[in-house]
Amino acid sequence: MRIDSLSEMQLDALRETASIGAGHAATALSQLVGHAVTIDVPKLEVIGFGDVPELFGRPETLVVATFMRLLGDIGGSMLLVAPRAASLALVDLMRARPVGTSKSFGADEEALITHVSSILVSAYAAAISRLADVSLLPARPAFALDMAAALLEAVASEAELKADHAVLLRTRFHSDETAVDAYLFFLPDPTGLEVLLGRLGVA
Amino acid sequence: MSERVGGNTDSRQLIIGVGEIAYGQHPRILVTQALGSCVGLTLWDPMTLLGGMAHVMLPTAADSALQGHPERFASTAVPLLVERLNQRGAPKRRLLAKVAGGAAMFGNDSGLETIGQRNTAEVKAQLERLGVPIRGEDTGGSHARTIELHLDTGILLVRSYVYGLREI
Repeated sequence: MRIDSLSEMQLDALRETASIGAGHAATALSQLVGHAVTIDVPKLEVIGFGDVPELFGRPETLVVATFMRLLGDIGGSMLLVAPRAASLALVDLMRARPVGTSKSFGADEEALITHVSSILVSAYAAAISRLADVSLLPARPAFALDMAAALLEAVASEAELKADHAVLLRTRFHSDETAVDAYLFFLPDPTGLEVLLGRLGVA
Repeated sequence: MSERVGGNTDSRQLIIGVGEIAYGQHPRILVTQALGSCVGLTLWDPMTLLGGMAHVMLPTAADSALQGHPERFASTAVPLLVERLNQRGAPKRRLLAKVAGGAAMFGNDSGLETIGQRNTAEVKAQLERLGVPIRGEDTGGSHARTIELHLDTGILLVRSYVYGLREI
């Protein structure tokens, strides 16, 4: 199955799944940090790998990315990416501090972003597992802070072994005071995508 | 091949995109940005000051779901670049190669590691097969690199956030 030929109904099924996953992730993150965090997915779309580096402006833009391989009935990976400044704002949002408090990435900031990414991806994986009745396990997250195009290329190169498009979920984290935007890429193997849509009843 | 101007870009710079190859002559400066697991290969002829650059994404076409575009794969881009330079008056026997990139961008993920290593290995295997000597290399690690080939000296500048500027 080619991911770039998904119908509107199939995209709606993915949106519904994403919305349930985002809800569970928000509940989990709120518990983790001890204050209310909500997560929206304002836009879910299919994007060609060729267009991905342009999302962040210049290829050398510094971004923070967390990569997680998906194992089980649906193979593939998920990648959460945000520019460095937005990632620091996400750290402040989680710590309930004014945006601008965190100024650089140290071990604590890296651990917090990795933790947040891990919870988000695990919640999506759980939503997919439950709605599609499949086994889907995210592997250990890998963190990187470097040039946007290099990170996205590395993931796209590996995914291209099997596909040339990804599902992009524009993801917005909110607290009472602030909102931060990040990009979540879902890169399922073509066979995994077929299994997923079949089980969701929209193959 | 795409040429971008504006910003802080030097007008002599020719920017080579992902999966593209390009060539030029001094005073041109050949640039490719943000190599991750991709490999940047440069060839330079000290006699004519002609040179070429490739930004390869995968080792071979067999590794891709996308067909066509020989410039994207190490196995086909390297011979293509050598041949094109030959046609422009830089014979193979005078070419000197430099290789950069091939990183594992997510250092603690085991699977992604192999693509950068395999890209580097395939580029070097092709150069060896063609008999083009490698005069400089900055590969591996887990950081991104931007490279600039200066065609008057053959110097390759490698920029990264981790190590700043290196000359190879």
